[in-house]
Amino acid sequence: MENSTQESHLRSENLVTYDSLYPLYAMALSSSPSRTPHNHHQHRIAVGSFIEEYNNRVDILSFDDETLTIKTHPNLSFDHPYPPTKLMFHPNSTSSLRKSSDLLASSGDYLRLWEVRDNSIEPISVLNNSKTSEFCAPLTSFDWNEIEPRRIGTSSIDTTCTIWDIERAVVETQLIAHDKEVYDIAWGEAGVFASVSADGSVRIFDLRDKEHSTIIYESPQPDTPLLRLAWNKQDLRYMATILMDSNKVVILDIRSPTVPVAELERHRASVNAIAWAPQSPRHICSAGDDTQALIWELPTVAGPNGIDPMSMYSAGSEINQLQWSAAQPDWIAIAFSNKMQLLKV
Amino acid sequence: MATGLQNQDGVPENLRKQLAVAVRSIQWSYAIFWSVSTRQPGVLQWGDGYYNGDIKTRKTVQSVELNADQMGLQRSEQLRELYESLAAGESNPQAKRPSAALSPEDLTDTEWYYLVCMSFVFNIGQGLPGRTLANGQPIWLCNAQIADSKVFSRSLLAKSASIQTVICFPFLGGVVELGVTELVLEDPSLIQHIKTSFLEIPYSIVSKKSCSSVGNKINDRDGTCAELDNAILETKLNLVVECEELNMISPNTSSNGFVPNQPAEDSYMVEGIYAGASQVQSWQFRDDEFSNCVHNSMNSSDCISQTFVDAEKVVSAPNGEKGNNHCVLDLRQCNHTKMNSLNLQNDDLHYQSVLSALLKSSDQLILGRHFRNCNKESSFVSWKKGGLVGTIKPRSGTSQNLLKKVLFEVAQMHGDCLLVPQEDKDRNNGIWRPEVDGINWNQGLSERRQRGNLSERFLVLGSLVPSKSKVDKVSILDDTIEYLKELQKRVEELESCRESTELEATTRRKPGDTVERTSDNYGDNNFGHRKKPLINKRKACEIDETESEINCGLVKDSSGDNVTVSMIEEDVVIEMRCPWRECLLLEIMDAVSNLHLDSHSVQSSTNDGILFVTIKSKFKGSMAASAGIIRRALQRVVHKC
Repeated sequence: MENSTQESHLRSENLVTYDSLYPLYAMALSSSPSRTPHNHHQHRIAVGSFIEEYNNRVDILSFDDETLTIKTHPNLSFDHPYPPTKLMFHPNSTSSLRKSSDLLASSGDYLRLWEVRDNSIEPISVLNNSKTSEFCAPLTSFDWNEIEPRRIGTSSIDTTCTIWDIERAVVETQLIAHDKEVYDIAWGEAGVFASVSADGSVRIFDLRDKEHSTIIYESPQPDTPLLRLAWNKQDLRYMATILMDSNKVVILDIRSPTVPVAELERHRASVNAIAWAPQSPRHICSAGDDTQALIWELPTVAGPNGIDPMSMYSAGSEINQLQWSAAQPDWIAIAFSNKMQLLKV
Repeated sequence: MATGLQNQDGVPENLRKQLAVAVRSIQWSYAIFWSVSTRQPGVLQWGDGYYNGDIKTRKTVQSVELNADQMGLQRSEQLRELYESLAAGESNPQAKRPSAALSPEDLTDTEWYYLVCMSFVFNIGQGLPGRTLANGQPIWLCNAQIADSKVFSRSLLAKSASIQTVICFPFLGGVVELGVTELVLEDPSLIQHIKTSFLEIPYSIVSKKSCSSVGNKINDRDGTCAELDNAILETKLNLVVECEELNMISPNTSSNGFVPNQPAEDSYMVEGIYAGASQVQSWQFRDDEFSNCVHNSMNSSDCISQTFVDAEKVVSAPNGEKGNNHCVLDLRQCNHTKMNSLNLQNDDLHYQSVLSALLKSSDQLILGRHFRNCNKESSFVSWKKGGLVGTIKPRSGTSQNLLKKVLFEVAQMHGDCLLVPQEDKDRNNGIWRPEVDGINWNQGLSERRQRGNLSERFLVLGSLVPSKSKVDKVSILDDTIEYLKELQKRVEELESCRESTELEATTRRKPGDTVERTSDNYGDNNFGHRKKPLINKRKACEIDETESEINCGLVKDSSGDNVTVSMIEEDVVIEMRCPWRECLLLEIMDAVSNLHLDSHSVQSSTNDGILFVTIKSKFKGSMAASAGIIRRALQRVVHKC
């Protein structure tokens, strides 16, 4: 573990930067820290390359929040066919039996599970839901159910969402969720999830009643795709979504469908990523092409001129990825060009 | 429960009784008092309410017969308790709900509506209650269930509860809302009647004395029924106090002699004195004792479901046209979820259970830990309107560049994908196709969409099938039938070829897995013609059939100069030629439409097993793929043998 080859170049009290050899897109923060020999907390971070070719790579880094250093581990790295569209660590790994290892999932052509140990990574399974052929429709995203961690829901361009039981490595349910490609999926409850699609709708599904789904929002111009969805885990009434080519973050209240409760419009270019605060029901962070990451506090009463963000950070270039992990609520991770940066909140 | 009561800031203590009288006198389903929150000024929140609608199951062990109005009050209280207990689950979502007399399964849709209303808050000026308060004018909303959600944000909920008419009027610095499951046309005199007859009279029914005697038989006259005759008899007793109170509560209302019956004068006096000495805002005294004693009687509740006897007879209402509005519901229907799955007519029903699953663990926003704003250590600085000087340089190229690549192009990279799950596969593999609920606001939209989709498909079909008359849908179908028959014949002919070549293909695929990237070295001999420019395509047709049949298996390995894509602004012209196979054209069209291309002309011909296609199309929307991506995608289709 101590054979780190690279330490972060840039560091200060409130910021740590990691330079990768290639452009980065997918990124995940571990939900449970492991301990170093010096008894520091170490947080694993997985970063996935974005290279428009077959050979892509996922690297596991570790972040020590006391020394503010990021270490790489040559052994903790694996090839990925084409860029991973999403990476995510087991959301609740303290509860699992594995002590020093962590489960990582990646999506792309298939949903893959990897076991990240101290000095190695082992592929655990490749989950392919197509029984008829060796090909399965590519996955745009997935979400790991926090309450029921054996469940992972994937979203695909073939208009379906698939719910996996990863312990048994079987499909629990597959639903034709939308009229067009499904771009993102998010769990609310153990059995309730929502998804967004190129058809411009946000729909809610309840696994207890698979006969129905409910559209709770449609983009104002028909067929403007919705690209990302984030469900507020601290207050399930709220979710946030972003539209294609839009600088808006749309905040929805599931009790009053159709009309967003708020639209956050202070980005100066399109928004690329959103993440709710892991420990507060009223805070959300968004990042976009305007190179800014903005933290918003949702007011109970919106003023007539819209909502202003609380604080801002500007990266050097378009921010493509944003993660706010429950294990480190004080840190927000962003990715832009070939850099990953941890920002102190 | 106590906490619940404390939330009701600024609500007069006997308001619930007044609401009860009002709503029962007109036989509506519920009454809600929205009061201005003392914690969040400018926001209307649940103050109090009275539920008078349908009831499914009534759980209680009753040692005493409660009369109708006590039952109603008790039900309203139980609903509030249930809401509080659901809300209390928030801090610890996994924890079991504390024992409430009711559980969500016991509720009718209307009760559920009433319950969910408790979680709503309205900015003044927004929503039905908010606008009522802002304008100071009553609002009468008919057909609430199909109202635009901008007008009535709870229209979806109302639909599920069959609430059709909702009225709001300003009252006591807040707003009174009444709702009923019938369509009632606007009638300003009704509002006036309610206001003057029932609400604006100091009405204190449940004195501490009568409360503690719930265990005993209670005088029927103690009821909340507005028995005006009785009231008149008592008026003089209350006269002095009443004047004071009227001035207090509603200075602009003319005094009104009809005071409903109040036998417990002494306690009434006490309240009257309170009223005289306090401001409207400080009417925070809770009649805890009342709710407690009802509650106590419930403590040993044994979950006995009891048929609720129609309460009509107790209510002396002038127009009893409503008849049996208190439905007697069977035990069979206890399971709410089960009922939902049976009752498919109401699409939105299931959404309630989704909501209940979600909302059981969340209530109003709880102020979270505040972030240390402008913390010295933070990477973030406080937001300024102008942004950080010199750091923001919006990029001139495509927006969301990487995100779009991840979502739109990575999928294409994987290639060879089944883009649309087939219908028959659905049945075999148990893929669910959830019905999208017909929420009113989008019904028209989805229908239009569906029709659009259908026409679009017909257009594609028409362009795929060689036909003489592509005028109407019927002739397109006729031509298709004809064409399919022809194709079937063709398939049989090619069957033998396919069998042999498939064998060949599989054996070849194993050693070199990266078939698609290998160069076309060993396809070259047979495929010389493919390299030739397209003008020569006539030549290709001359190649004899045996040769092209062999080629069909080898196509995988050709690098594919057989697809050309030319783009002039939005217009994309695709020319392809490739060995014909079943459904190929359909797959090509699919691939084209997946690339967000709108084809307006498709010409195709097959000759000796070689398919020639020319597609003229335009980009739909802003998702323009590059010529290379289109070419690669189409090549993948061709290679998928």
